[in-house]
Amino acid sequence: MSRGFNHLLDAVVRIDVREFEFNGGARRYTASIGSGVILSADGLVLTNAHVASPRAVDLSVTLSSLERVSAKLVGWDHWTDLALLRIDMADAKRRGLKFTHAEFGDSAATFPGETVYAVGTPHGLSRTVTRGIISNAARYFEDTSGVDGYETGAFNTWLQTDAAINPGNSGGPLVTEDGRVVGITSRAYLGANNLGFAIPSATAKQVVERLQRDGEITRSYIGIVPGALQDLENFYALASNTGVLINSVDPGSPAARAGLHPGDILLAINGTKVDGRFPEQLPGIQYRIASQPIGVRLALAIKRGAEVRDFGVVTELLESRVGEECAFEKWGLSVRKVSKAYARANQLPNDDGVIVIGTQTGFPADVAGLSRGDIITKINRQPVISLAQMKSVHAAYAANPQPTLFEVERDRHVSLFILKP
Amino acid sequence: MNFVIRCFPLLSSWRRALGALRIMRASLVVGIAAATLLRAAPDLPDLFAARVKSVVAVEYMTVTEVERRPTITMGTVIDANGTIILQATAIDSRTAVWQLKDFRVYLPGESNGVAAVYLGQDAFTGWHFVRVDASVRDKLTPITSFAPKAAAGSPKLGDFVWGIGLRNKDEDFIPYLMQSHIALVTALPQRTGIAQQEVAAPGLPVFDGAGDFVGIAASSFGQTYLQFSRAGHAIPISLVNVEESSAFLLRGEVLPFLGRIPHSVSGRPIAWLGTFGLEAMDRDVAKFLNLGTQSGAVVSEVMEGSPAEKGGLAAHDIILALDGVPIPQLRPTSVIPTYLEREIERRNPGDVVTVTVLRGSQRLDLKVTLGEEPKLLREAERKYFDRIGATIREFVYGDAIARRVKAAQGGGVVVQYVKPSSPAAIAGLREEDWIKEIDGVEVKTFADAIERLNAIEKDETRPDFVLLVSRGSESAVLRIKLR
Repeated sequence: MSRGFNHLLDAVVRIDVREFEFNGGARRYTASIGSGVILSADGLVLTNAHVASPRAVDLSVTLSSLERVSAKLVGWDHWTDLALLRIDMADAKRRGLKFTHAEFGDSAATFPGETVYAVGTPHGLSRTVTRGIISNAARYFEDTSGVDGYETGAFNTWLQTDAAINPGNSGGPLVTEDGRVVGITSRAYLGANNLGFAIPSATAKQVVERLQRDGEITRSYIGIVPGALQDLENFYALASNTGVLINSVDPGSPAARAGLHPGDILLAINGTKVDGRFPEQLPGIQYRIASQPIGVRLALAIKRGAEVRDFGVVTELLESRVGEECAFEKWGLSVRKVSKAYARANQLPNDDGVIVIGTQTGFPADVAGLSRGDIITKINRQPVISLAQMKSVHAAYAANPQPTLFEVERDRHVSLFILKP
Repeated sequence: MNFVIRCFPLLSSWRRALGALRIMRASLVVGIAAATLLRAAPDLPDLFAARVKSVVAVEYMTVTEVERRPTITMGTVIDANGTIILQATAIDSRTAVWQLKDFRVYLPGESNGVAAVYLGQDAFTGWHFVRVDASVRDKLTPITSFAPKAAAGSPKLGDFVWGIGLRNKDEDFIPYLMQSHIALVTALPQRTGIAQQEVAAPGLPVFDGAGDFVGIAASSFGQTYLQFSRAGHAIPISLVNVEESSAFLLRGEVLPFLGRIPHSVSGRPIAWLGTFGLEAMDRDVAKFLNLGTQSGAVVSEVMEGSPAEKGGLAAHDIILALDGVPIPQLRPTSVIPTYLEREIERRNPGDVVTVTVLRGSQRLDLKVTLGEEPKLLREAERKYFDRIGATIREFVYGDAIARRVKAAQGGGVVVQYVKPSSPAAIAGLREEDWIKEIDGVEVKTFADAIERLNAIEKDETRPDFVLLVSRGSESAVLRIKLR
């Protein structure tokens, strides 16, 4: 293999993760294995967001020398399924650990049929190299719960490859013959033959830069769901490759407040034309909106019937449907805050309340009859507005357990429950 | 008289065992037994033969866009006019009345069915009423003939009970006997007897040893069994016997209501309160709220424009009593909403009911004038478009509730059915989609939608049309390609 390829091999790492989760009504630990690639001499490691998330309590990186060193999360971004770690460099220096770092290639220059290699730790088998080709250089798919329940894939297309990708490959690089990273392997169809997907390096480069700088990525949101216009141009009396269909407008979103309707055609954003003829073009349009600053007014040229006019829509911060999570161990109850996005998706009147994500058998919440999916709206007749407020009620309960009245909405039915010590 | 013959050897062995003095008492017992025999002739085969005339099998067709689906159920004869009641569950509540066709009644053991008409469903009891053709009425005996004479007590724990089951259609619905003893009498919320084993087919009567009518078998309970895998893992599964049941509504829940034969096939009038999502109040909650052992139900939502709203009920009120009658203590508490619904349905539109609620720490007596139930889903108008491959349904009150919108915001029509692989299905149209626009123009009414879809279907030259549908909090523009 090329020198570049051998150099790359020394930059690929195995990542062992221990993280907590709140599912069963308690804070519990789970362990998993993924892959990663070192990007800089100062120990930045790129991997998947579904490998290393803020829930990780222990991240251990195994270098090509087989030495292990711990790492910390710099930041993560579930929308692109990428996360950035930094190796404990003080420890690495003290121990004299050596590693190389990889270079990005140009994912936009990849072509179907081009030979690529996936390097990683499938099923814990460190530094496994598999070979395949680029099967499709611009695959589109969105998944509303693809990264541990978080949304992913709305803002980028994916590289599809037939290089064998198995559980544990996640976060490892997809490289060309010269060892340049053109993608970060992320997912595959289970039960299918060699249908694997990687985040293109063009996306990864930007995400790395911003995570390194800010530790997080913020995006803009206006609340439209775009749809491909293919086959509908005649109906809307449009020339081909003009505009994108607004398929849906989130209730209460900036777009809805500005008066946008489903069935409107978005022709231009701030004077720049939009082309959403095919589904593969939609992530680019979403990306354009998402990369606008937060709180600015966008001029959207909208065609409705025969009329074309500008609508001003003020962007807001893009939020996940998945809110902050927490476990209340004395109650045996784990919850997730209702986020603005969750409230909109579920037609809730506001984003008050928390969603039950788990109960522990035999604990007060379970005994009282709470179950997964319930929305707790009030405790002791006080509306539940934040996790902090709920934590203080729980602390009071822990100090002096008293019967506590929970008001719960389950499938729009209101029930009352008493949690008893 | 078989019973008597079998009975005597038992008594004679008593006599032998107990000696001379006891003989006197034993013969006294014989005397009483003989007197009873004369009155009620409790000879099971004879009793059975007479009471089989109160039961029938009922077959009907459900006609859908693409098929005719037969259903067979069991019913009990209630009067000399050949009126038969079927359980609420005998007919799917989503089925429109006009979809129900070709009712036929089969007498037990007979291979030829007799035509019958569907009379409708009673909202209070839930029973469906069917009336059989006059030609066989003289072969039927109403269940009321077997009602006990006045002053009969309630069925008691341990009482012997028996009932009738019917075999399948290919066996000409041959009747067979089931027998058991009462193991539990409880309120669910109706007074219900539960026997040790299955005692009758659901919908058929249960009798006591004297042949008196005890009740009508309801749907059976699920019973939990463990299913073991080869590896020895046990998975609990719930099995329900759909052909035979051990639970039955006691006659007190049946006989007084046999007169509730619907005046029209729609079953109207139906009284309406307009609360949504009644949820039983837990006993611990009652204690917490200083209500002691009082039962109650939480009102999840009060429907806009409903009698409840006009009467001043509010979401999160806890209903404690109707017309001053406290909600009884029922077990499980989950049957309390059913109790309240029945209490409303027992009444008529226009009746005034005093609803006692707890709001915060205040107790309020609210006077509510019951209204007429808004058009039900099964009453919604529908039309099937064969070329498009979909049935469109009128938007009714229940649709507004399901979609969390105000009924006034109605408009549009709902997709009732999508034919597999039809143009509508290929375009991605789904059942329960709410059609808001056709070809970019808002749909105002059902008639409006029908007129436009008719025109589209008739136009052979038309390549496609476009729908805007709403689905949960999302919407979608769908192009339906016709050629």
